[in-house]
Amino acid sequence: MARRPLFVVVDRELRSLARNRTLLLVAGAFFAVVVGLGGASMGSPGGYVSLTLDLLTPIEVLVPTVAFAVTYQSIRGDAARGELDVIRTYPVSRTTYVAGVFLGRAAALLLLLVASLTVAGVLAASGASQPSSYFATHAAGDTPVAYGRFVALSGLYLVVVTAIAVAVSAVARSRRAALAAAVALLILLAVGLDLAVMTLFTADAVTGSALGTLVGFSPASAFRGLVFAAVVEPALATPPPAPTAGVFASVLGLATWLVGALGAAVAAVWRS
Amino acid sequence: MSDARFAVDGLGFGFGDVRILDDATFSLDAGTVTALVGPNGSGKTTILELLAGLRRPDAGTIERPAGDGRDVAYLPQSPAFRPWFTVAETIGFYESLSGVDDSPAALLSRVGLGDVGDRRVDSLSGGMTRLLGIAQALVGDPPVVLLDEPTSGLDPDVTDRIFEATASLADEGRVVVVASHDVAAVEEWADRVLLVAGGAVVADDAPAALLDRTDTDTLRGAFSALVRTERTVPAGGED
Repeated sequence: MARRPLFVVVDRELRSLARNRTLLLVAGAFFAVVVGLGGASMGSPGGYVSLTLDLLTPIEVLVPTVAFAVTYQSIRGDAARGELDVIRTYPVSRTTYVAGVFLGRAAALLLLLVASLTVAGVLAASGASQPSSYFATHAAGDTPVAYGRFVALSGLYLVVVTAIAVAVSAVARSRRAALAAAVALLILLAVGLDLAVMTLFTADAVTGSALGTLVGFSPASAFRGLVFAAVVEPALATPPPAPTAGVFASVLGLATWLVGALGAAVAAVWRS
Repeated sequence: MSDARFAVDGLGFGFGDVRILDDATFSLDAGTVTALVGPNGSGKTTILELLAGLRRPDAGTIERPAGDGRDVAYLPQSPAFRPWFTVAETIGFYESLSGVDDSPAALLSRVGLGDVGDRRVDSLSGGMTRLLGIAQALVGDPPVVLLDEPTSGLDPDVTDRIFEATASLADEGRVVVVASHDVAAVEEWADRVLLVAGGAVVADDAPAALLDRTDTDTLRGAFSALVRTERTVPAGGED
C-alpha cells in the first residue's frame, strides 16, 4: 500500500540518521555527557529537582548543539547533491518535504534526549539516598513527575531549536554558509540573546518588569523560565533568585520561533 | 502518452541583465530524443530547469503534457544520491514518493543495474550513478524526461549505454530532451537538435538537415557555422 509522502520523507530522514556514523558519534557523545551528569548527581543531596538544576544549563547548550549538528546539512545536502531538484519533480509539496525533514530529525533527536535524560534520572535517583536537607523543602514536589516535566520541556526546547536548524539548512546556499549560520545561531540562541537582553537591562533601556517578557523571546531563556515555573518553584519553598521569563512570554516566544523557523524553511526551500 | 506534446511559446528568462533566452517558441514531440546543444554558458541547464518547472520564466508560457502523478522527470548534471542507502532503497524511496508500490528491481533491470540493487549508492561508478538517475527518471512513468549532460566525463561504452537507455525512453512515447556537449553521441542518437546561443534558438532541426543546411560533414562543423552566423548577423536580420 502506498504511503503518504510525508511519512516517506520522515522514514528517509530516520534511516539516514541511523546510518550516518558521524551523527551516531555525536548522539553517543550527547548521551554520555547527559548520563555522566546524572551519574555525577548520584548520592548528592536533593533528588529530581536538584538533578533538574544540575542539567538545566548543560541542556540549554547541548540541545541546540546536537540539534544543529544533526540537522544543518539535512536539506542543504539534498540541494548540493541535486536531489532537491529531483524531488521537486515528484508529487510532493515543499511544505510536506520540510515537514518530513523536520519531523524525522526531531523524532530521532527526541528519542535521544528522552533516553539520555531517563537514564540520567534513573542513575541519579538510585544514588540519592538522602533527601535534601536544605534545598528542597516541599518533598511532595520533588518527584519523578517533576523530573518528567523537565524532560517534556526539554523536548519542547529541542523541537524548537530543531526547527531553527531546519530553517538554516533550507536557507543556506552552501555547506560553508550553513555551517557558519549554524555556529552563529548556536551562539546566539545559547547565550547571545540573553546577553543582548541583559545589556539592554543594565543600560536601563528596558525596565525590570519588561525583562520577564523580553527574555521569553530567547529560546534558552524561555525554556529556563518554563522549567523554573513548572519544576523548580513548585518544589521549593525558596526558589533560587534567578531572573526568568514569564510563562506566557516563554510559551509565546517558543511558539513564535517554531512557527517562524518552519515558515522560513518552507519559503526558502524552493519557489512554488 | 503518444499524444504528449510539449509547447513553449515566447519563453524568456534572464539573470538580471544577462539574458538566457528571449521570445523562444518551439514544441517538443513525444517519441523523439531532442538534443539541447550550445556553447558553454549558453544556458542549457537553465533552459532545462525552465522546461522542468524548476524555474519560473520571465515571459512566455510552457505547456507540458500531464502524467499520472508525475509530469516531468529531471536528471541534474552530476547526479548524486544519499550515500547511506542502497541502489534499491534509493529507487524505493522515489517510488514511494510517487505513490508507486512496485519493486525497484524491474526499473533497475531496465537500465542494466539489476545486479547491484544491494550495493550502496556511494560505491557506484560515475556511469552507474547516471544509470541510477535514469532509473529514477522512469519512476512514476512521466511523459517528459529531461537529462542534463548525462554522459559528461564518461567513456564511450558507458555513453552508448546511457543514450541507448535514453532512446528507449523516447521509443515508449515520451518527450525526451538531453542537454549535451557530446556532439558525436548527439549525431548518433538525437532525432532533433535545438541549438541555443546568445539567448536565442539558433537552429531547430534534425541532425542530417543541419548538415545539409550548413553544407558541413560533421555536427561540430554545423554548430560552429550556425553559432558564427548568429554572432555576425544582427538580431532579426537572418531572414
